[in-house]
Amino acid sequence: MLKLKGVTKVFNGTKIAVDHLDLDILEGEIFGFIGPNGAGKTTTLRMITGIISPTEGEITIGGHNIKADAISAKKQFTFVPDQSEIYDAVKGIDYLNFIADMYEVNIADRKERVERYTKLFQIDDALTQSVNSYSHGMRQKLMICGALLPNPKIFILDEPHVGLDPHSNKILKDLMKEHCANGGTVLFSSHVLEVVENLCHRVAIIHKGKLIACDTLEAVKHNSTSSLEEIFLEMTKDE
Amino acid sequence: MNKLLALTRIQLKDFFSKYTQQLNIKNKFLGKLMIFLPILILLPVIQIIKQLYDTFLLIGYPELIITYVYVGATMLAFFMAIPLVISIFFYSKDLSLIATLPVKEDTVVFSKLASVYVYLFGMGALLFGTSVVFYAFGDGFNLFYFLMGIVALLFLPVLPMIFATLVIMPFMAVIGGRSNRNMMVIIGNIVLLAVILGIQVVFTRVEMDPASLQKMVSQQDGLISLVGSKFPPSIWLTKMVRGSLLDTIWFLLLNLGFVVTLKLFAKRLYKNALLKYNQQSNTGKKGVIEYKQSSKKMLLIKRHLGIIIHNPTFLLNTVMTLFIPILLFGIYTAMGIMSLETLRNPMLEPFAIFIFIGIIVSPSIVGSLSATAITREGKAFWETRVLPISAEENISARIQTTILINGFATALLALGTFWILPLGALDILLAIVAAAAAIVCFATIDLIINIERPYLNWSNPTAAVKNNLNIMISLISRIVLGGIGYGLYKLIPDLSSRWMIGIFTILLLAVYVLGRKLVYGRYKQKFIDMNI
Repeated sequence: MLKLKGVTKVFNGTKIAVDHLDLDILEGEIFGFIGPNGAGKTTTLRMITGIISPTEGEITIGGHNIKADAISAKKQFTFVPDQSEIYDAVKGIDYLNFIADMYEVNIADRKERVERYTKLFQIDDALTQSVNSYSHGMRQKLMICGALLPNPKIFILDEPHVGLDPHSNKILKDLMKEHCANGGTVLFSSHVLEVVENLCHRVAIIHKGKLIACDTLEAVKHNSTSSLEEIFLEMTKDE
Repeated sequence: MNKLLALTRIQLKDFFSKYTQQLNIKNKFLGKLMIFLPILILLPVIQIIKQLYDTFLLIGYPELIITYVYVGATMLAFFMAIPLVISIFFYSKDLSLIATLPVKEDTVVFSKLASVYVYLFGMGALLFGTSVVFYAFGDGFNLFYFLMGIVALLFLPVLPMIFATLVIMPFMAVIGGRSNRNMMVIIGNIVLLAVILGIQVVFTRVEMDPASLQKMVSQQDGLISLVGSKFPPSIWLTKMVRGSLLDTIWFLLLNLGFVVTLKLFAKRLYKNALLKYNQQSNTGKKGVIEYKQSSKKMLLIKRHLGIIIHNPTFLLNTVMTLFIPILLFGIYTAMGIMSLETLRNPMLEPFAIFIFIGIIVSPSIVGSLSATAITREGKAFWETRVLPISAEENISARIQTTILINGFATALLALGTFWILPLGALDILLAIVAAAAAIVCFATIDLIINIERPYLNWSNPTAAVKNNLNIMISLISRIVLGGIGYGLYKLIPDLSSRWMIGIFTILLLAVYVLGRKLVYGRYKQKFIDMNI
């Protein structure tokens, strides 16, 4: 479903943020992307979603190259970034309608999905208010609702659990599972290893721009009784 | 909804909502009314257009108003478009969102230009629209002229906007992720100011010189060609408004050509400029770590200075407002309107001290730095609130920062001008005391305005220092004080200039004492209670 082949990102000709990354994310799986701060997680997600271009390598989403066939590739996914920088002077409903228009969601579906997701995340009462009156958590919920609205094949999220209350975190986890049960794919980065451990079918660990592990949880743990946190700390420990 | 329309719609909604929110007006109706605020600022320009029209009518060529204002408005629109294009394409926070959406590159470029178009159309409506109204209504209402004028107005922003985009985008692609981006905004804005002032000067000169116009009129249809010779579309447009089909076709084809050109280059511009420019960069440079101890007050002043210096919009705004008299003098000298000799004219000698004070006090009059001292901090305002410093220290550091900047500007202007004007040592001393009184007075009372109206939730720095209503309230306070001073001058006829300045200085000091009492009294509590 999502393939990265030799993806590299070099900033200013010297700083290697992501170094020859190979990933193959399958249809119907929840894929966790973990790594320490500055490891290259966000840069990788920004390359996958077309925000920045890779210096080297190829990214294909649902068989479409993000560079050569950008629009077809972008129709396959929606993205929730780590920073909630959206049009903040408009009303919440204006933002959701905008996203629905971009992904050509018909009126009946958009009404049904907006009502469902905003009620689940308890922001339905705030939809007629300006986004800049929202708290950080509410903005995050609005963006998640917007990303779920087109019912994409791949749901990509960068640190989605930051800023969400426990209730909303639970709902998000349930929605991720539901999305995969319906044949969709979820790719998300996180620092909350407990969530990754309980939710993901497979995980990738990135450290200093390089992929140091990519497998099922059991395989990453080498069938040991250690927690993912212990394994992660061991793997990303600097000599 | 069509993707182009949806993208354009949300950007325009965001643009207009931000504009009214930037004005920081709590009343909804008043907020909407404030959209028309620029009309007030442009009233003098409308007056100039009226006088210009009367001049052209007098010489029998009223249509020249269309040619003339179209050339001026197009130039102005071009230079206004430069910072707007830079701001909307390169400083906008929505690119990360837009880049992930399944939309074509030209859709992104055209939708982003929609808000530039609306902005330029607003300016065009005030300038060119006024000239159309004068022309169509001038000698009995002519519906055809009026309708064609509206068509011309609708097309007015297209050429300058697309031309500016085609110039800016490749340039920004070249400078890419380097730090020069801030410099570009500063240069663009300086050019804009120079052009605005230049156009004003050109208008004034034409208005003042009907004899030279009369001379040009002697040629058959030569006047339009002469005025429009440097910019042929203005000739086509003027003739289009008068009903020439051929010129209408030329004019429309030209506009269409620009749109098609932009569409052809849109993909390249998006990828090479927009996307490349917005790449996250990490220089990885390591600086020197220093451990120094400073006083709290010094640190706070350095912090406030740093907020201005490290933000290109704040820095540009501060520099431009502080040195407006020098900029004006430079431009007027370049246009041949004014020279050093003008200031040395013996006729001006009795007013020399007033001119000198006017020059050196101008940074405090137009600077209004304290009126946005809290606003400039934006969402980072909480930082000083949690530090172990008193509200007095927090407030006084802001006032002292303004005093420091304005004092520096005043000192520079005084050093640069005292030798030009015929002034004695006592005059200079008196002027410096008056300037010092003005600096402390305005720095203090402006902070009261900012405590009253903090407005911290801005999303772009221009909103914090330019569109904020605080600036206008602050300027009104100068007009009121100036009015009181002028009233005194009129009430006491035989007062010498030195006495006059002495009394005015006492007035400023009295306002300062009152302002200080307020700011460290009632407004200190308001500052403490301020909601973030």
